[in-house]
Formats: sequence, structure tokens, C-alpha cells
Amino acid sequence: MMVLKNVRLFDGLRVGEELMEIAIEGDRIARIAPSGATELPEGVFAVDLKGAIACPGFVDLHAHMRDPGFTWREDLESGARAAARGGFVAAVAMPNTDPAVDNPGLVRYVAEKGKAAGGARVLPAGAITLGRKGVEMVEMGAMAEEGAVIFTDDGSPLSDSGLLRNAMLYASDLGIRVMEHPEDASLSRGGCVNEGMTSALSGLKGIPPSAEAIDVFRCVALSRETGCPIHITHLSTAASVEIVRRAKAEGVPVTCDVTPHHLTLTEEEVLRSGFDPLFKVNPPLRSRADVDALWEGLADGTVDAIATDHAPYHFDEKDALFEEAPFGIASLECAVAVVLDAWHRRGRPFQLERLLELFSSGPLRALPSWLRGSFALREGGRANLTVVDPELVAQVEVSKWASKAYSTPWRGAVLRGWPVATVVEGRLVYRRDEE
Amino acid sequence: MRFRHRHVLDLSDWRREEYELVLDQARVFEELLDRPIKKVPALRGKMVVNLFFEPSTRTRVSFELAAKVLGADVINWSSSGSSTSKGETLKDTAWTLEAMGADAVVVRHGGIGAPHFLAERLRHALVINAGDGKHAHPTQALLDLYTAWKRFGRLEGLKVAILGDISHSRVARSDVQAFKAMGAQVVLCGPRTMIPLEVEALGCACEPDPRRAVEDAQVIYLLRIQKERIGEVLFPTESEYHRRYGATRELLELAPKDAVVMHPGPINRGVEIESAVADGDRSLILDQVKSGVAVRMALLFLCLGGGGR
Amino acid sequence: MALREKVRLMDGAEMERVLRRLAAEAAERLGGLDGVVLAGIHRRGVFLARRLAERMGPLLGGEVPCGELDITLYRDDLSTLSEGPLVRSTRLPVEVEGSKVVLVDDVIYTGRTARAALEAILDLGRPALVRLCVLVDRGHREMPIHPDLVGRVVPTSRSEVVEVRLREVDGVDEVVICERGERS
Repeated sequence: MMVLKNVRLFDGLRVGEELMEIAIEGDRIARIAPSGATELPEGVFAVDLKGAIACPGFVDLHAHMRDPGFTWREDLESGARAAARGGFVAAVAMPNTDPAVDNPGLVRYVAEKGKAAGGARVLPAGAITLGRKGVEMVEMGAMAEEGAVIFTDDGSPLSDSGLLRNAMLYASDLGIRVMEHPEDASLSRGGCVNEGMTSALSGLKGIPPSAEAIDVFRCVALSRETGCPIHITHLSTAASVEIVRRAKAEGVPVTCDVTPHHLTLTEEEVLRSGFDPLFKVNPPLRSRADVDALWEGLADGTVDAIATDHAPYHFDEKDALFEEAPFGIASLECAVAVVLDAWHRRGRPFQLERLLELFSSGPLRALPSWLRGSFALREGGRANLTVVDPELVAQVEVSKWASKAYSTPWRGAVLRGWPVATVVEGRLVYRRDEE
Repeated sequence: MRFRHRHVLDLSDWRREEYELVLDQARVFEELLDRPIKKVPALRGKMVVNLFFEPSTRTRVSFELAAKVLGADVINWSSSGSSTSKGETLKDTAWTLEAMGADAVVVRHGGIGAPHFLAERLRHALVINAGDGKHAHPTQALLDLYTAWKRFGRLEGLKVAILGDISHSRVARSDVQAFKAMGAQVVLCGPRTMIPLEVEALGCACEPDPRRAVEDAQVIYLLRIQKERIGEVLFPTESEYHRRYGATRELLELAPKDAVVMHPGPINRGVEIESAVADGDRSLILDQVKSGVAVRMALLFLCLGGGGR
Repeated sequence: MALREKVRLMDGAEMERVLRRLAAEAAERLGGLDGVVLAGIHRRGVFLARRLAERMGPLLGGEVPCGELDITLYRDDLSTLSEGPLVRSTRLPVEVEGSKVVLVDDVIYTGRTARAALEAILDLGRPALVRLCVLVDRGHREMPIHPDLVGRVVPTSRSEVVEVRLREVDGVDEVVICERGERS
């Protein structure tokens, strides 16, 4: 038995002011009561969280664990432990591995290896097409039985609209969503920065916002017509947010997420840093106006979730010329802090509760309904919790990271607002002050 | 007034006094080139390495001459070919240069940011950018400033029209910065497919019609149309480009009497410029080449001569 | 570093007397106008050379060619300078080849400037002869260089600085000795 003492409770709606105690037995929440209300048995393992906020577990919808096939960058073990250190009780592992996770056997591999790591729970994502080639659909049913929670060819868009439509229809029968990485490859080809100020000044080829907007529009059109849900990942522009906003107003079943880097960094970093590939990502860092629009989307509910798109690389891979380096930003272990810090800096444009929602209940909207029960914070429910101290100021210390990647734009940054403990299936997999 | 820069990577942080310093010193160095003995011991004992990953005879020779006249030792390290454009090799090259004791590395590379990449990794040597991809070509801009200044006696208020593939031109980007900093008025002109979408970020006017762009221009600056750099089809044919945007005698007739024609070289006769114009008396193209050595001497001297940094 | 004026060695009138004497000596030793060219070493040497040329002209029966020499590129201490050095023009009205060159400078001290000037001249051609003329010799030679024509020999200590001020540059004609003061 374990007791989390002196926590404030975020029940999904409000953060309470009262200090509470959460007693955990096995993998369940046995009791939630005000602090000191009950007599604790002798020798019980108690963790004093000093007023931090206990939330339903944070879930990362989009993390690249690189396993199988690219394990020098990350693997399911380091990834799962990194997610736990980042405050996530679960992370969805992207299937653009080698081989791609396009069959039930690999789904099981990911689920089991992830579980054995003893960190966050790894939820496997399946590819939509065999080999992610965009041609033949996978056996979604069999993969769902092994535990696939979402289907995506992420890394690439699904260019064949007919295939995308069919995948949406088929997946909806299984109660599982398709996640689209929105990009029109003929517009983005060869580009590596935002088409705008940065491409004008640097000569680097730009990726226009239309490359994303066109695919977001397409997804919405297909969803509207078929009535099938779809999840659009890593929106980066004002134009995309507006398309989703209007779709939602009509009741189209579309959900979307944004990344911590698109919420906090702009294209200006590329020139300012002297072309440091740490700032090279797809979709690229955009303009200030786009960043502001993303925050508006967070505030008004257009955006459902914040997902990291954690893209770990080996140091040498990112230590290259800008045009040659791979795309992607690693952030699992500081993502929550990056966003909380930015929320403070922007003058707390909305309630803290909204922000906590974006990490906890928001992501669940894109996942199968049978998962939701596991992440609710209630007596008798599964003990999957994230404890957050929104005022804690600390530096990003990559030397302590469980992730194999340490090339991140926030290395050494001082951020305000950190996860301080993570509980997965009743086990305390991360505790900040024990390090 | 001193020269603050350690490396010369691009002109984005150059102040007017620094341009003036280079122009002033270039004038003195140009006199040196007229002497019988074209050698002074100013940079004796210094090693300048020409690290050229893109083929270029004229720029490399220009730097080589500049360094040698100043008495420096010059090492030419040319690499072309696919394997050597990888960042990996650039890193290893940096360590080798350090070990060799290079004092200055003049680098031309197809990858944007290559000089910055090197500058980060070299402890002793300083880096001079001789052209990085489509991003910057600072010494070209400096010699263009010098050439125009010598001809007109001023740069303030001079109108400069830059014609061609602006999007893909490092010369355009650097020249815009340099001429603007010195108070000249720059206008960009080219087919819309060759103008950056957010051209306002470059901070100068845009005129789609070349006939209007040259109307009151003192300097008509032509960019090379590079088919090899353009992956997509940005214009139909060379002859169409020549007809609409080429510097022909007819186009020049629309320009003021004292207007001059400049080009970074090498020229594509019959594409962006007509032979008669290139070889005509309004062409400063050869002056640019001569200016190039003097300006590069001035820059090498300002960067390497004198220490205490 | 603060410089404190200690003593005035020459005022304008005295400087004029010295220059006239130097002009006379130079004219006598050169023996004629043929092939003569004065080369003033930047910065103040240039103005002194012009004044000398003006006074030598009547004595030699014609205009004495006079030019300027910048020795920055020949200095042996370039890398130790804290301020980035700037190069000035070198312009001589006649060819060095076969000429009788008179180098003119305000002060000779270690002799390194004069050595650099000699090298600069030799790079311009092969002179028939080179003479060195200075207004003040303050001693402490580090090179085997000796001026042929000297205005005034002034023993100094290393902590002192000899400043020649000219109206073209400093607004007044005088020579003063300064002491390097305490760092403030």
C-alpha cells in the first residue's frame, strides 16, 4: 500500500484547494480523503507531495520510440522510462519503426517490451498501410486485438485519399481512430523551414502553411462526409486551427493535437541559432502569429491535446549541417515543463485546469473508449496519476534523462512548472525528489 | 573605430562604419596591386586555407591572390563530389584544419550554414564565408559595394536594381543587406516564381516589370540564372527569360545615361545578359573582378593582421 | 594610461630653426636635385617631409619630389597590436628605382619603424641610396639602424614618451616629453 500525502486534487474539472491523501492498494486507488482524516497504518509507504496537484494520468499521444530497428536513438525501455520521468503514465508509440508496426506480432512486441520496462505504459500504434507504403491496408482487427490503440502512417501523410477514407470507415467499426500526419508532399518536398521570413532570409527551401492546411481540409471533408472520426496530429499553423475550429462548430468528429515546440518556438530560432538543426522539425517551426493562433486553439477547445511528437536522435545525427540533419525534436522529459513555463510567461491566458485537461482527458478523446476507464482519478479506479507542481522552478538536466537522446532545444533551460511524481498501475515509477 | 568581427559568416550584423572601413582599406590595397613587387609581409607566417566544396575558379583564385600578396601561406583544399558534402566530413575537416594550424579558413560549401558550423567548431582559426548554398556571399557584396562606390563616388541614395532568380541567390541576399546598410535604394525584379513569398522580410521594394525597375537605376545588377540549382520548373525556357528579363541593349536604353551593369560572374551570355552589354562600356564586370582581390585583401588584413582579440 | 607632460623640448620657433638646419644639411649631402625624393613615414613624417621639401627646394634649385609611405604592412609587431591597425596610402611621385630616397620621420626610438620603412622602399624598387632623417632621436635602439640626419638627440627613459606635435595634425608646433602616469 502506498499513500500520496498532501496533494491537491484535479478531478478533471477543478483543482481543489484542500490538501488530500490518496491511498493506493495494488493497482487501484483505494481511498481519496482529506489529509489527516484517516489514521494511516504503521509502516505504510507514504510520499509527501507538499501541495502539488494530483491529476488523472497524462497521456502522450505521439512519441517515437524507434523500436524495433532504430534503437541507437531510443528503445521501448528508455522511451517508457523517459515518458514516466516526463510525467506521462502512458505514451503512444509511433509505428514508423524498422520494420514498421504493421502486423499483430509487432503490436504485441511493442506492448510487451514496453510493459517490461517498468516506466510509463506503452500503447502501441499501428501503421495504416503495410510497410507504411500507402498502398495496402493492414489487418486492423487483428492488431487491435493485440492492443493497437490508433492507426497512423505518421512520418508520412497518407496521400491516397481513397485509401484514407476506407481506413477511416474500417477503423471506426473497431472504435479506433486513424491519425493523419497532415502534409501535402508535393508542396513540402525539399523544404526544411517555414516558407516565410526564414526561407526569404536564409535561402533554405520553405514548407508553405498550405502544405498542411490542404491535408487538414481533406481530413475534415472526409470525416464530415463519412461521419467517421479522425485525429489530426501536430497542427502548426493558424490556417489549420481555423479549419478544425469550423469543422468542430459543425459537429464533425475531428480531434487534433499540437506539440510543445510549436507552442513555444518560432521560425526565428533557425536564423538566430546560426542554423542549428536542433530547430529542424517537420512541420517546421512557424511564425509568431501561428504560435498565437495555436494558443487560442488551446483556450477555446479547438485543440484537444498536447502531444510531444518526441523524436529522439543520436547526438551525431543532429550534429550536422541544417539541410542534411534529420527532422525532429526530443522532448519527453521536459515537455510538460516547457508548456507550463510558456503558459506562465504568456500571462496564464486560461485556467490551469484547461492546461491539465490538454494532457489528461484531452488525449483520451482520440483513443478507444475502453481505455478511458484506466485513466480516471476516482476511488476504485486504476491508479494512473500524474502529480504536477506548477510553481516549481528547475533547470532541464539532460544528464539525468532516461532517454537516449539529449539533443534538445531546451537543454539547460530554466523552466517553471514540473511533474513531480508519476504513478503507473499503482507503482510509483517516477519521483522527482528522489533523484 | 575597429573591425569587430572575428568571423565573416554573413552581413546580418554589420554596421555602416564597418563597411566604410573595408571600402577605405580596399582603396589602399588596390594601389598595392599596381606595384612591381606585389607582396608585403603583413600576413607572413599566417596560413590561409581555401576550403572549396563547390567548384569555383574565380573566387578561389581571388582569395588566393589576396592572401599571397599579403605574404600569407595559402593551402587549397578543394573537394567536390557527393560524399564530401556531408556534414560528417566537414566536421572531420575542421579538426584537421585545427591540427594543421590554419589561421583562417575561407569556405565555400553547398550547404547553408556550413561556415557557421565550422566557426562553432574551430578554436583558433577564423572563418570567412565564400558562399554557403543560397544563403550568403558576403565578400561578393563587399566587392560590389566597392566597385559601385569607386564609379559613383557615393553609395547613399544610389538606386540598385537586382534582376534575376532572387529566391535562389546568395549574392542577392548579401547585396541587399550591404547596399541597404550604406543607404542605397534597392529594388528586386524577377519572375514571381523566383521571388520569395515573404520578400518584405528582405526589406526592399519589388518591381515585377524589368523595364520599370531599370528606369532610374544607376546600378543594374544581374544574377546568373542557374538551371542546375533549380529542381522545379521556375521558368519555361532560357530564351523566354532573355527576352523578358535579359540585360539587352534595348533594356539598357531605358536606364539613365550613367547606369552601369554588374554581374557576379560567370555570365551566361544570351540568357541574363547580351554579349554586347557584357563587353560594352557600361559594364563593370571586369572591374568587379579587380575589386575582388583588393576587397579580399582588405578583409583578410582586417581579420588577421593585428591581434589582441 | 595617462600621459603627463613633463618638459617642452621645442616650441614652434625652435622647430622651424631645426628644420631649416636639416634642410641645409640634407641639400649639402645630397649634392643636387637629381633623383632625390623625400618619403615621409605616416603619419607625422609626411608633414615633416613636406616642410623639409619646401625648404630644400630653393637650396637645390627646383621642386623636391615628396611622397608618403605607410609601413603598417611591414611592421614586425602586427600581431601584438591591440587595436586593429589600418593601412594608409603609399604614394611616391617618382620611381624608387635609381632614386636617392630620404626617409623622414618625427622620432626614431627602437628603429623598427625605420627598418620597416626601408623594407617597404626596397619592395618598391632598387634605390641608388637611402638616407634617414628624423626630427628627434630618443635613443634605445633595438635595431642596427642609425639616422643620417638628426634634428635633436634627446636621452630619454623607457617610461617616457616623446610627442612631436604638428599644426597640420595637432593644431600646434612643439615637441614635448611626457611621462606615463599611474593607471587611473
